[in-house]
Amino acid sequence: MLVQTIAWITSLFFMILVVAVFAVVAWKSRERKDYAPIKKKWYKARTFYGAALIALMLVLTIYTLRELPYNQPVYGAGNEPTVVDVQAVQFGWNISENEFKVGEPVEFHVTSKDVNHGFGIYDEEMNMIAQTQAMPDYTNKVFITFDEPGTYEILCLEYCGLAHHLMTADITVTE
Amino acid sequence: METVKSRNNLVVSYLTVGGVIIIAMMVFGVLMLLTQGGVIDLAPAAFYQFLTIHGTGMVGAAALAAAGVMAYFLSQYVQLSQKVMRVNLALFLTGVVMVIIGVFSFKYASAWTFLYPLPQLSANAWGTIGALLYLFGMLILGAGFLLFYLDSGRAIMKKYGSLAKGLGWDVIAGKKSEDDAPPKAVIASTMVTIVNVTALTAGSAVLIMNVINVINPAFTVDPLLAKNLTYAFGHIFANSIIYMAVIAVYEILPRYANRPWKANRVFLIAWTMSTVFTLLIYTHHLLMDSVMPTWTLILGQALSYANGLPVLVVTAYGALMVVYKSGIKWDMASSLLYLSMFGWVVGVVPAIVDATIVVNHVMHNTKWVPGHFHMYMALGACTMFFGFMYYLAKEDSDIKENAMNRIAFVAFALAIVSLSGSFLVSGALSTPRRWATHIPEWMGPAVFGAVAGVFAMLAVTVFVIHFIRYINKRRHNVHLEKTSHDEKPA
Repeated sequence: MLVQTIAWITSLFFMILVVAVFAVVAWKSRERKDYAPIKKKWYKARTFYGAALIALMLVLTIYTLRELPYNQPVYGAGNEPTVVDVQAVQFGWNISENEFKVGEPVEFHVTSKDVNHGFGIYDEEMNMIAQTQAMPDYTNKVFITFDEPGTYEILCLEYCGLAHHLMTADITVTE
Repeated sequence: METVKSRNNLVVSYLTVGGVIIIAMMVFGVLMLLTQGGVIDLAPAAFYQFLTIHGTGMVGAAALAAAGVMAYFLSQYVQLSQKVMRVNLALFLTGVVMVIIGVFSFKYASAWTFLYPLPQLSANAWGTIGALLYLFGMLILGAGFLLFYLDSGRAIMKKYGSLAKGLGWDVIAGKKSEDDAPPKAVIASTMVTIVNVTALTAGSAVLIMNVINVINPAFTVDPLLAKNLTYAFGHIFANSIIYMAVIAVYEILPRYANRPWKANRVFLIAWTMSTVFTLLIYTHHLLMDSVMPTWTLILGQALSYANGLPVLVVTAYGALMVVYKSGIKWDMASSLLYLSMFGWVVGVVPAIVDATIVVNHVMHNTKWVPGHFHMYMALGACTMFFGFMYYLAKEDSDIKENAMNRIAFVAFALAIVSLSGSFLVSGALSTPRRWATHIPEWMGPAVFGAVAGVFAMLAVTVFVIHFIRYINKRRHNVHLEKTSHDEKPA
């Protein structure tokens, strides 16, 4: 499943929960009850709610930090990555190589000749599959192995001037 | 002589200027969405000028209005300088005029981020004068706010002894009882003072670096340092808006519910957490800069999660408790303030998701980002001071809330939810943000968002008109009072 889909479903679930809580409390606000017992009960509940929330966040933090896009993958013997130099310029991409094979590990070493740009890789359905910033004086890396053949598109993802939206390029992945 | 009324005049000015600018900025927002949706055909140059003015103007205007809320409540406990507030307003207006001239007369369009070295390297889209007008405009505007926070810091220290005591650290340490904790308005103002003095210092530094680079391109700066300073400034300053505006919720909602909401130890710890986290988490804007030390990025994610805790466990939870079975009277002020807490909390969800590095890897700089910040900024922060505006109008005059106001409330809530939702859908579809054109697959949500934006704009216009009507009534009242006063025998 796409990361975007997981992000969307997770967000939607918790956002609906928030809507429900605020709606119930608004609905219940029509009653008038003494505050002291409410305070006692819900402060007690807060201890559990707070602890549960911290636990959930800790689990999610640890789980999502296991594999970071910054880490160079461990390459097997004889499976050395293809290193591709990418230089962004207002308003285009200089890419040293733009044809790859499915299963071939690729490292994009991304920099910029002028201002900040963003190097976003989109698949044929126009879903973003990876990105990094293209910065002058620095080289950011994207580690990727394409699973599907097709024409992938590079889009600029950091505003860089008036032709920012025209700053695209294609790369081809074959079987 | 300083009177409550004259001080309120300044608060009213802050809110009016803020409100009017926000409406104008909404027009640009709608035009951008219509362009992206393929409904109108705006030249890219115009689109990016609108983008620049929309982002800069919204944050500036909302910060001014929120500073008005902060000043109103803080001045009930400490002595703020009216002169400084006037100077801040004057510098704000000067800065705004310079930014407008820079953008529209000199075609300056770096977006609010003015990421070094874009102000100087525009590919001949704009020149030195435009860049300098914008950068100096921002600098002047920032200097005004810096004076405002230096004054609030001075006033808090004078009354409470130190900023640490303003945050209630002596109560947290057990040296003082919870009953002697500072008022919530003071705690929040202390937090904002600390973070915004830091933010504005970072912002001024990077603005000056850009200014020198624009004048003399031989002078260069480390672009990663500049980026850090830009986001330290932008993130903290924009974030502080909600921490200023939430004072309205703390002060007003309990009055409506007729229930106490005092600062206790947990509350104080939460605000200290917010202070620290707000200063540190700007690195979540740099998650796609793998050259950053990895620990700063991991910290960016972990602390962004943790920064949700104070609002989720203390502020929003506290507000819900105050309202729950309270028999609260719902009018425009209380409804907007309650809605604002909803806006903040609901926006925290996709924001936390976005701060997750593996998610950010495919959602950074997509429209997912405006999706979450329109929730906690428009439906959260702005709604707080709109609620405050209705409260002030009711407190300070006999103006009535008519049906139009209630219709506007419903329209506003639905419109901002729709607008933010359309951005989130766009983000899930990988639509890049800050793009003047869209492919057909991305256009639908943009058009939907534009329509929602129109309704939101109409609703905010109703809010602001109500406030301006109140100002007229209030002036009338002041005049009457004065007359009757003058007529009294000595």
